[in-house]
Amino acid sequence: MAVALTKRRFTVDEYHRMAEAGILRDDDRVELIDGEIVEMTPIGFQHARCVIYLNEIFVRRLEGRAVVSPQGPLAMEKTTQFQPDLVLLRLPLVQLPAPADALLVVEASDTSLEGDRGVKLPRYAGAGVPEVWIVDFAGEVVEVCRVPSPDGYRDVVRVPRGSSLSPVAFPDLTLGVDEILGPR
Amino acid sequence: MALALTTRRFTVEEYHRMAEVGILTDEDRVELIDGEIVEMTPIGARHGWCVMFLTEFFVKNLADRALVSPQGPLRLGRNTQLQPDLALLRPPRDAYRKTVPASTDVLLVIEVADTSLERDRAIKLPRYAARDIREVWIVDVEGQAVEVYRAPTASGYSDAQRVALDGYVSPAAFPDLRVSVADLVG
Repeated sequence: MAVALTKRRFTVDEYHRMAEAGILRDDDRVELIDGEIVEMTPIGFQHARCVIYLNEIFVRRLEGRAVVSPQGPLAMEKTTQFQPDLVLLRLPLVQLPAPADALLVVEASDTSLEGDRGVKLPRYAGAGVPEVWIVDFAGEVVEVCRVPSPDGYRDVVRVPRGSSLSPVAFPDLTLGVDEILGPR
Repeated sequence: MALALTTRRFTVEEYHRMAEVGILTDEDRVELIDGEIVEMTPIGARHGWCVMFLTEFFVKNLADRALVSPQGPLRLGRNTQLQPDLALLRPPRDAYRKTVPASTDVLLVIEVADTSLERDRAIKLPRYAARDIREVWIVDVEGQAVEVYRAPTASGYSDAQRVALDGYVSPAAFPDLRVSVADLVG
């Protein structure tokens, strides 16, 4: 379309009302990004296995210390609501999770790497999410992003296979990159 | 945003539901184009005046031969609902009490273009043609002319004429009516 059209953008509140009114349904895999309702990429096997693995280990090891929210909502600002692959949230959970509640966000990136890095990561940083892990299957690393600032994460480390890592919030919990990425 | 993200597209029913539940309100000047909700361009003085002129002209001269729908909705298929500046619709009036007019109800669509000429030509015209709207006028306020499009095909209108300031335009459905281009955009 050569002529530029201005799209009607929606707030998080309007987005929720679409779900209440049945306009958006359970079979809609969508996120709200800058007021636009965007389709999420399909979840493949590697991606699913990774989320299941992390969910299980976090639930087991962090009982009473954090809420584990796999593929749940995170309301970022007035016109953005993401659905990260996994979030560790502060206890107790009393409202729709917001960045201030997040201890760690994990994005499993098989087909969505550019979107996760280019679109979501800057917004997590701007909103002050303290730590994001991008599981990069193609690159065979977990990209650990810490120290959020309005210009992005100041501390980004690509942790390769054979290494291990821990969430900043839970240094006693150590995970192997091989286990997170799964078999080659 | 440099990355191409796929936006969720909406059906006309979902679009109507947004209005029913108050997500879209009277303050929203929007159209649904291929499932995307897009903002309409603001109406300036000359644009508003042309719509008033044409509405008055057709209401006075058509009597009960057609309904005049200024800035009303027009459904074009599953994912598109446009709001042309003016549409002449087949009677009877009661047919539209509960149903948004569709392409088969339309005798003439008029788009008044001051700032929206390219948008009307590039976006709306092909969609009117594809849905078999038999006649479209684009009033080019700036260029002081009326473009008359007839004979819709899947790839656009096969009969296009541009009528200048000294000319007259008549709807194919009502050849007895004549609008002076000078009266409209002079």
